Amino acid sequence: MDPHEHPVRLAVEDDLQRSRLTVFLRLILAIPHFIWFGLWSIAAFLASIVNWFATLVTGRPPSWLHRFLCAYIRYSVHLSAYLYLTANPYPGFFGTHGEYPVDVDLPSEPQLQTRWKTLVRIILAIPALVLGAVLGGGIGFWYTGGGRSGSRRNSSFSSGGFLAVVCAFLGWWASLFLGRMPRGLRDAGAYGVGYGAQVRAYALLITDRYPNTDPTALLESVQPPPLHPVRVVGDAHDLRRSRLTVFFRLPLLIPHLVWLYLWSIVALLVLILDWFATLARGRPPRAFHRFLSRFVRYELHLYAFGSLAANPFPGFTGAPGTYPLDLVLPEEPQRQNRWKTLFRLFLLVPAWLVGAALSYALFTCAFFTWFVALVTGSAPWGMRNLSAYALRYLAQTNAYFSLLTDRYPHASPLEGEEAEPEHVELEPAYT
Amino acid sequence: MTRRIAAAAVLVPVWVVAGWLLWRSSLPAYHLPHLNEAALFSPHVLHRARRFSGGERLLWLAQTITQLVVLGLFALYGVRWTRESAAGPVGTGMLLGMIGFALVWAAELPFAVLDVWWRHHYGLSGSYVQATIGNWFALGVQFVLLCVALAIVMGLARVRRIGDRWWLLAAPVFVGLRILLAFVSPWLLGGSAFHARYVAQLERREQVHVPVRVLSGFSEPNAFATGLGGSRRVFLWRPILERPFTPRMDRFVLAHELGHLAHNHIWKSIGWYALFAFPLAFLIALATRRRGGMGVPEAVPLAIFVYVVLQLAALPLQNVVSRHFEAEADWSALRATHDPVAGRRLFRLFASQTLDDPNPPWWDYVFLENHPTLMQRIEMTRYYAAAQSP
Repeated sequence: MDPHEHPVRLAVEDDLQRSRLTVFLRLILAIPHFIWFGLWSIAAFLASIVNWFATLVTGRPPSWLHRFLCAYIRYSVHLSAYLYLTANPYPGFFGTHGEYPVDVDLPSEPQLQTRWKTLVRIILAIPALVLGAVLGGGIGFWYTGGGRSGSRRNSSFSSGGFLAVVCAFLGWWASLFLGRMPRGLRDAGAYGVGYGAQVRAYALLITDRYPNTDPTALLESVQPPPLHPVRVVGDAHDLRRSRLTVFFRLPLLIPHLVWLYLWSIVALLVLILDWFATLARGRPPRAFHRFLSRFVRYELHLYAFGSLAANPFPGFTGAPGTYPLDLVLPEEPQRQNRWKTLFRLFLLVPAWLVGAALSYALFTCAFFTWFVALVTGSAPWGMRNLSAYALRYLAQTNAYFSLLTDRYPHASPLEGEEAEPEHVELEPAYT
Repeated sequence: MTRRIAAAAVLVPVWVVAGWLLWRSSLPAYHLPHLNEAALFSPHVLHRARRFSGGERLLWLAQTITQLVVLGLFALYGVRWTRESAAGPVGTGMLLGMIGFALVWAAELPFAVLDVWWRHHYGLSGSYVQATIGNWFALGVQFVLLCVALAIVMGLARVRRIGDRWWLLAAPVFVGLRILLAFVSPWLLGGSAFHARYVAQLERREQVHVPVRVLSGFSEPNAFATGLGGSRRVFLWRPILERPFTPRMDRFVLAHELGHLAHNHIWKSIGWYALFAFPLAFLIALATRRRGGMGVPEAVPLAIFVYVVLQLAALPLQNVVSRHFEAEADWSALRATHDPVAGRRLFRLFASQTLDDPNPPWWDYVFLENHPTLMQRIEMTRYYAAAQSP
């Protein structure tokens, strides 16, 4: 294994086909699993306490506890994948390795762990737990505090992860109608499940490698989606951040927000005219297309700066090629399906839901990156890439809304790839 | 060179004449009687006011020196932050300007916190949250204004036909914005209506009919007049309507503020602003010429430093003008109310309530006092009383 590779890796071998009947009844079918998982969670909770003391003393978890907790994590991944419609078949009850299309590779042997990291593990895990809750930590046990007025104090198991839940909700409808899960939603759900597994492995002392939010690393086994006409480009390795502009990022944003507000008013008026024109002509007028392209690109520059996904102060014009995190948009107005144009607002609702979930992820990343960048002068690689994913999706949604393309936003966390031309065996003309 | 001298020979007298026209007032040629402050204020009040004002003066001095040092260093080394921008020349200039202000804010932060502590020490209001986090957010509002100003200046300077003469166009634009702000701001402030029997009587005497509004959320006694034409308003801060201030004192305060409006002080202050704006903009253009002029972002750190230094240099003159307006408003209030006793009590109360030093040192008077001192204001009430007595 590559030493730089995270020891907790997601393996996805799902063919996207879904059984309409089991999708429809999924929550009901999962009831036995909920009961079983609840019991197992209690045992895992107690085991994790013993494991913590043992690891603190010996520097490595006892083998039997390691195996038990690995099985628990693997089972939670299978169950989460089933619930979030990331996989189709009914999962087994024992978290057996290799038995489920969405599986997780965990260290086979207990690993040596730094003692001080073990001591303060629960504190160190807070950012990862928060991100896990935003992305899709999967189901697990959580302590739920309550006040005196009637509510109980207890540990309960619950499903978390705004992104995975939104994808599951949308995927439920799509699977019922199509009999297959849309790939973007499946990938986003799998990403949440995979990250949740890493968080759990870190919190339960399976590994002391911090969870990695980088989508490309997490979804290594997943095939990239086709190239989208709206995509984010830039130097992903440009992680340097100016501490000064990081500290004053919010006040520095305010003039831009005022400008964005003023520009939005004009852009909305242009968009309304553009909508009528596109409906009539089947293609947006070039002047409107260019104006709205600039606006959508400007939004991306601004959000990248605000979320610390990029370092420099952006310009006010949304000109292409001026910002390190830039947006590629169709240069010329494209022919668009009139039906899609007519119902664009209704069609956008699912994309907005996914966009809302990713906005939370973007905000959370920005919050943690702010502290990290202030101390180290650079942005964490994983969070930067998660931010780029969120920004890409939001830009695709804005471009779709602004009639710059009629290609629907792709929710996959992976960058699109140019489809390889089909290999055609040429038969010799003469024998 | 000859053209410049000729231009100066025309413009300087024009400036002086305009200044003289704006200076003219309804104040009589008066000579204030000299009063002994020990006879007007108790030793305790005097001691507290002097100690408090002394501390405030020191803080101002430290803050001003810090500001100049920070901006001086920023003028020298601030250019290095151009690499943090992908915003083109004007946007980069904006970023540099904002960074300059942000650094000043950070350097002044300890003094702001110290100031709150000092105020609390003397039983006055002040919020640590406002002084730190609140001001951090307020920076954003400052940044917006700064960006607008730099967009105008740099935008004009980058027009090839205008170039270094941007100041000739920028100054009128800023005056226009100042007029717009003065016109619009009263509507943004809100407040609740103020009703008192004496309002109509004072409005009749001052020949000004404007809405009087009360602003809540303040902990200090204050009032001000603002607006132009239809937007003219008088605003009273809630504490001045509460004890220990009496209705007679409030009547005097209201008459003072109506006096500002009756004598067109808002318009006159805009006139003075215009008189200062032209030379100020010209000197900035002159100072930044060696850095490539205001069209390039590299000139912005120096421009900000020059602007702050010139503002500081102009402060004594601006305070002279402001004190003149305030004296005229006091005189107007005395004539409208015929109540010098109320005025005298009011000013005496200010010493104990706001801890203003009744008789500050000369440099404080020159740089910090935009109102006549409390002693001068009390002396004016005495002068009025003496002038009215048969």
